Amino acid sequence: MQTVQRTTLSNGITVLTVENRATDIIAARLFFRAGGRWEPLEKSGMSHLLAVLLTKGTHTLNSAEIAEKVESIGASLGADASTDYFVMSLKTVTADFGEILDLAAEILRSPSFPPNEFELEQHLTLQSIHSQKERPFNLAFQQLRSAMYPNHPYGVSILGTEETVTQLTPADLHQYHQTYFRPDNLVVSLSGCIDHEQAINLIEQTLGDWPAPSHPLPTLELPPLSSHPQTDKLPQESQQSIIMLGYLGPSVYKREDYATLKLLNTYLGNGLSSRLFVELREKRGLAYDVSAFYPTRLEPSQFVVYMGTAPDNTPVAIAGLEQEVKLLWEAPLAEEELQSAKNKLLGQYALGKQTNAEIAQILGWYETISVGIEFDDDFQAVVQQITPQQAQNVAQRYLSTDPYISLVGPAQALELAS
Amino acid sequence: MQQLTRLVQQHTAIPFPAHIFRLESGLTVIHQHIPATPVTVVDVWVRAGAAAEPDDWYGMAHFLEHMIFKGSKTVGPGVFDWVIENSGGMTNAATSHDYAHFFITTAAEYLPETLPYFAEILLHAQIPDDEFIREREVVLEEIRSCQDDPDWLGFQSLCETIYGDYTYGRSILGTEEQVRMRSPNQMRCFHRTHYQPENMTVVLVGGIEQEKALSLVSENFGNFEIRSECPPTRQKSKPILQKIQRTELRLPRLGHARLMMGWLGPGVAQLSEACCLDMLSVILASGRSSRLVRELREEKQLVLDIASEFSLQRDASLITITAWLEEGDLEQVEAIIRDRLQEIISEPITEAELQRTKRLLCNDYAFSTETPSQMAGLYGYYNTISAAELSVSYPQRIQQIQGFDLQRVAAKYLSPEKYAVTVMLGL
Repeated sequence: MQTVQRTTLSNGITVLTVENRATDIIAARLFFRAGGRWEPLEKSGMSHLLAVLLTKGTHTLNSAEIAEKVESIGASLGADASTDYFVMSLKTVTADFGEILDLAAEILRSPSFPPNEFELEQHLTLQSIHSQKERPFNLAFQQLRSAMYPNHPYGVSILGTEETVTQLTPADLHQYHQTYFRPDNLVVSLSGCIDHEQAINLIEQTLGDWPAPSHPLPTLELPPLSSHPQTDKLPQESQQSIIMLGYLGPSVYKREDYATLKLLNTYLGNGLSSRLFVELREKRGLAYDVSAFYPTRLEPSQFVVYMGTAPDNTPVAIAGLEQEVKLLWEAPLAEEELQSAKNKLLGQYALGKQTNAEIAQILGWYETISVGIEFDDDFQAVVQQITPQQAQNVAQRYLSTDPYISLVGPAQALELAS
Repeated sequence: MQQLTRLVQQHTAIPFPAHIFRLESGLTVIHQHIPATPVTVVDVWVRAGAAAEPDDWYGMAHFLEHMIFKGSKTVGPGVFDWVIENSGGMTNAATSHDYAHFFITTAAEYLPETLPYFAEILLHAQIPDDEFIREREVVLEEIRSCQDDPDWLGFQSLCETIYGDYTYGRSILGTEEQVRMRSPNQMRCFHRTHYQPENMTVVLVGGIEQEKALSLVSENFGNFEIRSECPPTRQKSKPILQKIQRTELRLPRLGHARLMMGWLGPGVAQLSEACCLDMLSVILASGRSSRLVRELREEKQLVLDIASEFSLQRDASLITITAWLEEGDLEQVEAIIRDRLQEIISEPITEAELQRTKRLLCNDYAFSTETPSQMAGLYGYYNTISAAELSVSYPQRIQQIQGFDLQRVAAKYLSPEKYAVTVMLGL
């Protein structure tokens, strides 16, 4: 990656820039350490609703005026809440960047949460929650998540639940905004046709006079997690059964275990030459979509393998997925297999940093979750060093338990699965 | 390099940033060197989409796309995938009505090693019987998973309603029954008919120099299979919508109703009109200050969301408006949309709205031509349906559009009395 420059402003804002003159574009990401993880369970969905409402009114602009300002110059500006971060994303042609950054600053510093807009977006969020049920994959994932993360924010969709979203008020959003939206909790990351000094000047002008409160940020206490595998079944009238197996995995802070499970996840489920794809799709024709994921998380993450298959295949599919996971911890992988997975993981990692938006996102995110921009290199170095023995040890540590199993499909098919 | 003829650039005002070559075989090669990137994309486009299928060979083009990855006589199933991914690259493919395309993204240094495999599986697909039967199960799973996706079902139904038995009304995947009727022999025939040089465009964009790129393509894409001839595809006349054509779908688990309206647009031969429709779709329902989003989502709060899309196709483009809403509001929303279409036809658009939309579309174009794979896709697509040079004329065409052009094109294509509509309801 191109050189990253990093500056901390006097009010605590961290600024990261990558100068990239290849195109006449600037992409910026403004990250706050906020999101689903910071929500009390009874207020689930607050971050999402805040993200939607931020662009719907400030002390001087209403919703239509904000939209007009952005769309009239053909820029993009949007806010997004995730479990582990909150981000506002901007993209403009170079000449328009200052104007949109001004607007973003106003939105972040003084949102007004107009009551009519609040009601509209609350209603629409409830509808979105409802529509999650349209897709069997979403149903299966929600079922798995709530089993693996009881009483934990990771157990709930970022949208919240019907019960919690109904209870939310504009006052909740004000309070949440007051608590977490402060300059010493902000990382501004940008990539594009601008140098570090120009960027610092623009950010100083728009956000430099935002004072950091003297009181510290609240500390967060989440319940500890332990594995109590269970099987959940949800009957649905669907053409396919969805089968998901989940294992609790390490957070990003257990650096070696994390990198090793990323590597194993790649070996198992990433791409057309992955183990699941070859064994269960190519050789046995059981699925179109068969894959694995292990998201990077601040809290213990989940290592998930899944597939969609014809209802009659349900038991075979569960056995097939379990077997493939088992092979990871029963015996070490061959050196060549591991090397091939490393090539794939690191190659795709590099390909994920092509656009200005991708570069701004990944660097800002590393800074936000406190692993630092060095993590970009460290992660790649750690992956290179992993040995077959180490991979097997890590697989034994996290994947040799029974999995959480989530099944969605026709009732008859689910009965077949003992 | 004497076998190469550098094509004279056509008379477009915007210089085309890539170079186009035609090899002696008739194969088109498009190359653009981007020195700053280590990434190279090779994107191979074939005029062998569902529109090329013989009348009864439903699902063939897409099924063949799957079978390409099963390799040739010298490259076994999965070998190509392994070679690409083992060198840190990615590969995938897609099939639509007008094309099938296959691409690899890789570090340029690996191309001499990987490109021979890519060319081999594309040009010499073996389509073994046993692999065909195995892969058929995968295609059937793909069909099943689409049938669990209400938006896919709705779009499929709308296309059938609007295009009728015209080729764009076909399901690209085919149904389970249709896919089961395909045979390996038919597929080999389809491959050997269409995967021929004059139907193919190889696009290379990224960190590779012209001479190297051309010699790699010449070396590897020289030897095509002996031609076959598929049964003919019957030429059907383009559908004309005479009234409101309505279809209703009832589905389990549907969270809320959908209203999907569609109109036929011009083909790529009328690119300026197509650009007007692209612009109209943005004015109508793209972004919070667009007309329908502002009125129906923000003000009247009759829809959960509403969006308009324009898709350029070779012979007849498609413009759609989709609303997610409560069942009880369906009629009212459809009536309002009809009124707004009438308005756009009869009342001049303001200069401010015109300028705003132009800026938005031109910036969108800049934002979507940032990476080698985006650029390769753009050139390959345009070359497959028309000519690659046209792809870069888009911003200029948009800039030239006047308010009365939009009115005229809206009157011609976006009739409030003649359109297709699919309504989706819960059980």
